[in-house]
Amino acid sequence: MQAVKLSLKKANKIPIEADTVSPDNFAGKTKEEIEAILAWYGNGQCPLGDFFTVEVEGSDSTENTKIVFDGDVSRVKRIGQGMSAGEIEINGNVDMHCGFGMKGGKITINGDADSWLGCEMKGGEIILNGNASYYVGSGYRGESCGMRGGKITVNGNAKDYLGEHMCGGEILVTGNVGLLPAISNNGGTIVIEGNATMPASEMKNGTVIIKGEVSDMLPSYKEDGTEEVEGVTYRKFVGDVNASGKGVLLVK
Amino acid sequence: MSEILIKNANLCDPIQGINCENMDICIRDGKIVESVSENAEIIDAGGRLTMAGGFDGHTHSAGKINVGRFINPNDARRKLVPGLSGPEKRTEKTRAQVGYNTPNTYAIGYRYAKLGYTTICEAAIPMLAARHTHEEFKEIPILDKMGLSLFGSNWQVMEYIRDKEPEKLAAYVAWGLKASRGYGVKIVNAGGGEAWGWGKNVNGLYDPVPNFDVTPAEILMGLVEANEKLQLPHSVHVHCNNLGKPGNYETTIETMKMFEKVKPTVDRQSLHVTHVQFNAYAGTSWRDFETGAPMVSDYLNSANHLTFDLGQVIFGPAVTMTADGPVEYANSRLLHEKWSNQDIELEDASGVVPLSYSPKSFINAVQWAIGLELALLVEDPWKIMFTTDSPNGGSFVNYPEAFTYLMSAKKREQVISGFGQMALDRMVLPGIDRELSFYELAIMTRSMQSKMYSRPEKGNLKVGSDADIAIYDIIPGDIDPSVEHEKVKQAFSGAAYTLKDGKVVVKDGQIEATPMGRTYWVNAKVPADIDSAMQKDTDIKFKKYYTVSKSNYMVEDSYLPNPVEISTEGVF
Repeated sequence: MQAVKLSLKKANKIPIEADTVSPDNFAGKTKEEIEAILAWYGNGQCPLGDFFTVEVEGSDSTENTKIVFDGDVSRVKRIGQGMSAGEIEINGNVDMHCGFGMKGGKITINGDADSWLGCEMKGGEIILNGNASYYVGSGYRGESCGMRGGKITVNGNAKDYLGEHMCGGEILVTGNVGLLPAISNNGGTIVIEGNATMPASEMKNGTVIIKGEVSDMLPSYKEDGTEEVEGVTYRKFVGDVNASGKGVLLVK
Repeated sequence: MSEILIKNANLCDPIQGINCENMDICIRDGKIVESVSENAEIIDAGGRLTMAGGFDGHTHSAGKINVGRFINPNDARRKLVPGLSGPEKRTEKTRAQVGYNTPNTYAIGYRYAKLGYTTICEAAIPMLAARHTHEEFKEIPILDKMGLSLFGSNWQVMEYIRDKEPEKLAAYVAWGLKASRGYGVKIVNAGGGEAWGWGKNVNGLYDPVPNFDVTPAEILMGLVEANEKLQLPHSVHVHCNNLGKPGNYETTIETMKMFEKVKPTVDRQSLHVTHVQFNAYAGTSWRDFETGAPMVSDYLNSANHLTFDLGQVIFGPAVTMTADGPVEYANSRLLHEKWSNQDIELEDASGVVPLSYSPKSFINAVQWAIGLELALLVEDPWKIMFTTDSPNGGSFVNYPEAFTYLMSAKKREQVISGFGQMALDRMVLPGIDRELSFYELAIMTRSMQSKMYSRPEKGNLKVGSDADIAIYDIIPGDIDPSVEHEKVKQAFSGAAYTLKDGKVVVKDGQIEATPMGRTYWVNAKVPADIDSAMQKDTDIKFKKYYTVSKSNYMVEDSYLPNPVEISTEGVF
């Protein structure tokens, strides 16, 4: 087991692009080696040691590496980008693109996450114990496929465009979501335990379950009986007819 | 005075009839000369394949491609062809690059140069947006550029044809080329752009354009008459009606036949038909869709008045962009894809739709085969220009891959083996074993363009020609392209040397220098009285309809940092 603890020395205003912070990059490295890893800061690159106090215990493979951010990193972006295994724990708020394109492993955030949490994720798990911002598990601008696999759990609320262009995987939100969750999605499962507005527009495929209130339900869905999921009966809608979709939208 | 001596080049220069012969090439001040002094800088080609710089005579590289960039921000990150796509950092010599189908302007210049290409022709300039095209030209380094101006759905053009005023029409074409600093006349789905303004299309050569009482056939014949009256260096450049529709090969052949009677006033073809792949479809619907290439090739083999280009399909993502508005609408509905649509006021329509060609789709597989069938069934390579109609059929960075399809039946078999039976039943490609030589490839990629565009200084290495040269890392005698197609692809993907005007711009596949290329445009002389009569008519158009004034419409000289004005005398 290798444990790496990063504590921000001083709150930064210019964001740090920490796409190099992942178990894949840290595994088997010493404190000095990790401190020397570069991250973009403004228009130049700086070693991580400039920003963080680094503590390392043990040395192990990627799967057995755990990175812990001690405290708020609300101006540190792209933590865990593309990670394939291991674990990251963030004890505070985190900036945009956390877990971008991750393939495996686990990220736990004990705080709020900014936009694009887990976008284009292919595998692994993200647990957010706080609120999420826009575009959770979505695709990059213009891309036709967002999240393809893995699971994102938001124990809180999420803002607009949750799971946009999602093609696979699973998103669970225990709170409410904003406008247009599951827009243009083409696979995967989204479960929203709270309320949602205009869900699943242009959905081609996939399943969306909304346990709370739905505002402005889109008229482009065909009602198709009922369906029972885990002992609860939902009204079943199929669509989006506008996109010749075969998606399933289950609402109370 | 700068002198270079390229020693021991294995030259393939079809215009001079030189077929892979070892010789020296002498360059002085950017031109090929008989001999150089002893002080000349020496480049040892080491017996490697040497050709004139490539000339892509039909590519969408400035103007509409920008709409492609807007609606495909994801294209910036695509890294499908190593070294020729995706994001690349700024270096000492080059600016930052992104993209695959719609690269930024700098990447277009660098990547064409890496392929050994030194001249490109933008396939469509809407005259109203010509400033934008030239703004992009200004930022495309290294390459020499030219562009074709759109006339096929222009109100003034259609009115002059309806009113039978061929002289005024010629004057308008001359003025339009000057206003847009264009090189030639492009006609896209004649009349269809105007019909699209009413949500319609024209369904063939004799379907009248709404409100103008002219047919596509009349537009084509009117414009070719003007083109020849003005003695323009290029023939009319035609994107046929009914593009992309099963059964359209008949319209294509009919269009080609119509031009048999045209007498060119310049020593070149009287018609260039572009991206014929998209216009050589048989069948009556997408269900019984099949190749029409054998029929089109039969006709092309019997005709000597025209040239054409392929519009070869490359599997993977592409972006279609054309002035053929109704086609793009159909694409977007058929594929449920993003769609951009533009109205060019009195001139034309335009649309952009991204798509992806998959070998698993029988339609795409047959499209892929049609391009190659045309290239291989038409016997005379001087009639054929190699293109992918970049990025409509696929990005130009795939040219090396496509060259191997032409040069190796084995490579084709490899691709064909992935097709389903339905696709195989609809194509004739598997029965074709012809393989092109380097000589034939040189004709299709540089030499025929020299004749087609009347640019005698391009596409060959005669004494007096521009010293635009590509040296590829292949020794023609030592390689069998039929078997070693991977090596061929690799060599064409990064030239050992590319010289532009006698300056080394690429060495070992890397950019060495980024000089500014020229922009060619045509200034056709028209008698003053005809010109002023025509101007009165266009004044009314600007006053009544255009959103810009005439003085703001003209592209000013400041937009062309390095212009080459080609003057022609009209025959009136």
